[in-house]
Amino acid sequence: MTLLVLGAFSVALTLLGFLVSVPVFKRLTILGLSLALLTLLFSWGQPFAFGPYQVDGISQVFTLLALLGALWTVGLVRTRRFEFYLLVLYAALGMHLLASTKNLILMLVALEALSLPLYALATWRRGEGLEAALKYFLLGALAAAFFLYGTALHYGATGSLLAGTPGEGPLYALALGLLLVGLGFKVALAPFHFWTPDVYQGSPTPVVLFMATGVKAAAFAALLRVVAPGAPEALSLLIALSVLIGNLAALTQKEAKRLLAYSSIAHAGYMALALYTGNLEALGFYLLTYVLATGLAFAVLSEVSPDRVPLERLKGLFHRDPLLGLALFVAALSLLGLPPLGGFWGKYLVFTEAAKVGQWGLLILALLTSVVSAYYYLSLGLAVFQKGEAAAAPRPLARGVALLAALALLLLGFLPGIVLPALAQGG
Amino acid sequence: MVVLAILLPAVFGTLLLLGLPRALGVWGAGLSFLLNLYLFLAHPGGVAFGVQAPLLPGAGVYWALGLDGLSALFFLTIGLTVFLGALVAKVEGRFLGLALLMEALLLGLFAARDLLVFYLFFEAALIPSLLMLFFYGGERRLKAIYTFLLFTLAGSLPMLAAILAVKALGGSPTFLLEDLLAHPVKGQAAFWVFLGFALAFAIKTPLFPVHAWLPLFHQENHPSGLADALGTLYKVGVFAFFRFAIPMAPEGFYELQGLLLFLAAISALYGAWVAFSAKDFKTLLAYAGVSHMGVAAFGVFSGTPEGALGGLYLLAASGVYTGGLFLLAGRLYERTHTLEIGRYRGLAASAPGLAALALFLFLAMVGLPGLSGFPGEFLTLLGAYKASPWLAALAFLSVIAGAAYALTAFQKVFWEEGSREVEDLRGPEWSFAALAVAALLLMGVFPGYFLDGLRPLAEAFAKLLGGGA
Repeated sequence: MTLLVLGAFSVALTLLGFLVSVPVFKRLTILGLSLALLTLLFSWGQPFAFGPYQVDGISQVFTLLALLGALWTVGLVRTRRFEFYLLVLYAALGMHLLASTKNLILMLVALEALSLPLYALATWRRGEGLEAALKYFLLGALAAAFFLYGTALHYGATGSLLAGTPGEGPLYALALGLLLVGLGFKVALAPFHFWTPDVYQGSPTPVVLFMATGVKAAAFAALLRVVAPGAPEALSLLIALSVLIGNLAALTQKEAKRLLAYSSIAHAGYMALALYTGNLEALGFYLLTYVLATGLAFAVLSEVSPDRVPLERLKGLFHRDPLLGLALFVAALSLLGLPPLGGFWGKYLVFTEAAKVGQWGLLILALLTSVVSAYYYLSLGLAVFQKGEAAAAPRPLARGVALLAALALLLLGFLPGIVLPALAQGG
Repeated sequence: MVVLAILLPAVFGTLLLLGLPRALGVWGAGLSFLLNLYLFLAHPGGVAFGVQAPLLPGAGVYWALGLDGLSALFFLTIGLTVFLGALVAKVEGRFLGLALLMEALLLGLFAARDLLVFYLFFEAALIPSLLMLFFYGGERRLKAIYTFLLFTLAGSLPMLAAILAVKALGGSPTFLLEDLLAHPVKGQAAFWVFLGFALAFAIKTPLFPVHAWLPLFHQENHPSGLADALGTLYKVGVFAFFRFAIPMAPEGFYELQGLLLFLAAISALYGAWVAFSAKDFKTLLAYAGVSHMGVAAFGVFSGTPEGALGGLYLLAASGVYTGGLFLLAGRLYERTHTLEIGRYRGLAASAPGLAALALFLFLAMVGLPGLSGFPGEFLTLLGAYKASPWLAALAFLSVIAGAAYALTAFQKVFWEEGSREVEDLRGPEWSFAALAVAALLLMGVFPGYFLDGLRPLAEAFAKLLGGGA
């Protein structure tokens, strides 16, 4: 159903784009995404399959997160061109498809379906964004090639195109490794992260919000299917590199979007800890709090400026607009994983997964880097309270959504149990 | 009931943060104190007034809160200290709101009957503490914040690893205190688990050499002393060692006991030494706190029932008198705009009431018999002597040194020749003085009444360690 709704709206809106005005178009896009969300919620926990398209627990959880990211982006953006909304809709379709299949070929198609609109969105602002977008495109194309090569080898090693087929031997290991590279690029695991800081800094903030939330959610769904059954050795290396590089590089950043880019690399590393056991609950909860917190941070930044946001410019935000200031503070603390915010339970759950498989070394590294991360998250969170001349012209809707997200993070901090049963269903 | 006691200050705190007037906060703190007093008086023994609801049932985490004798005593002293602070500290409503929120989190921390819930409150209390420092602190507050935060997190994240390990390796089905105590970690793993806890709790005790965050924290906090008083209450390391770290991995504790006793003795002595040469009132109190916590920790580390009893009592009592002294320093600052000890001189002539209050607080800190500091120090000494006579002698040199620094400071501020005139106690400060003195006397003269609830816990603790009676 979700696929039908998204597909129908994509096609219909492509035609309508030339006929209706942009505000109406925006509303139609929101309607389409909301309808998709509703159909998803109504069929929650009910598996459905049509050929290689399979809706199961993983698909539902990660589609939900991706759709939330897409809705948030569409709601925030201020643009007078309808193509923006359309591209987000296409990408959301690709994300849903990526999360809903075990077939590696279909995964590749979905991966491209979500990437192509994003390449275009990254260039939304001409000029400096162009270089970043080119980097994103070239590296993304390379990653897709890796993924395709991995698919071929996977078929060679197991005789199957289904992700998660057990196998053995060097060929199989190589295949998994190549698939991991392809997807690792999308979720920004180090050392495939080089595009992230530039693209995050150069792209319009709402687009970055979408990349940081939706893309990550969808690509992790695929990772869960590809990697989880027998996590390759290389995964530990990627995780270690991600949490180290992400957290250490973020320490010296003076620009909020770049800082959050490195933070997202580090978070990809933490999330990947859950891949060892493939526990949907843990990964889903982590992503939920991460999507809320990162989305909230980028949403606040986009109200301050659609462009670059040096930390200096955040100073005084709290005095200008207490709600937005507090929201950014809450988001930063949740990303840091400080109780009583939702981010803490996310970290707790994925760390438990790592403990279950005895990855004590990685666990300690992850904990230590979390300590380091306190420094930059606090710089970000406390900047809003300092004296300064932050300018912000937030719209009521943006403030309302920010309030909701901040409250959700608090609620998840005190009662994480309320969403876990839903996440576990069908997983 | 416990939930009500925790929510009450939280609700008032939130209201104040939303901009309601300060007077409401004083009422909130007063009500909270009365409720905590009632809980203490009505406490029937055992674990009472509790609740338990699933938090993450799959992972064995429960919202389990309840009061045993120990928690009830701390509820009382926290409620009292915060009320004292609300009475006299001339701060804006939002500041008091943060203080009340912090009170709520501290109460939760002491009432937690589930390890993860404890951790939740332990970490969460950091946020109001940081915000008070950030909004109302001095010029070097950012440095103080980062130091404090990095120290705290450097301790608490290894602790999170230890928490995960304690359940995984001990084989407990849940994180509930009873279950964890029934499944202590054994063997080599116990050492690492205990080490993870020990680091976090040593920082929050604070023990030498991880006390370095404390002086800056106190120096940079608002001169009213309200944040300092709460910071004093937040030094829960000794309690946490007693309740969680040691019983959950006793084998690990044995391996480190010698080192910990040594560090506690050094903290006691070193704190007293630095306090003696401190030029600034708050620095003096900060190091006096290090010294006292060293003594209290020594008592718990001794593994004897008397030592544990004394250490915990000292911790509870010091919350009131050290907190009270920080608030007193705030009163002095308001009158003289300085915290430098050398610049007061001879205040007793113009402010006899203030001097008398200060004398009571200082003497309680010194451990004069009849005031609240004495029973704790005496019992600690008793237990400590059993465990290690030499180190006990070393640690208790600090008690003598305590008399030296505290009385010297008192003499300099109130008696020395000088013509500085200040206003005496006024308005609510009289209530502050009366309440504080009453508490010091009651806790000093009738310690048995307060210790009754702790005794079974201390004995169980010593039995678990196989030492003592």
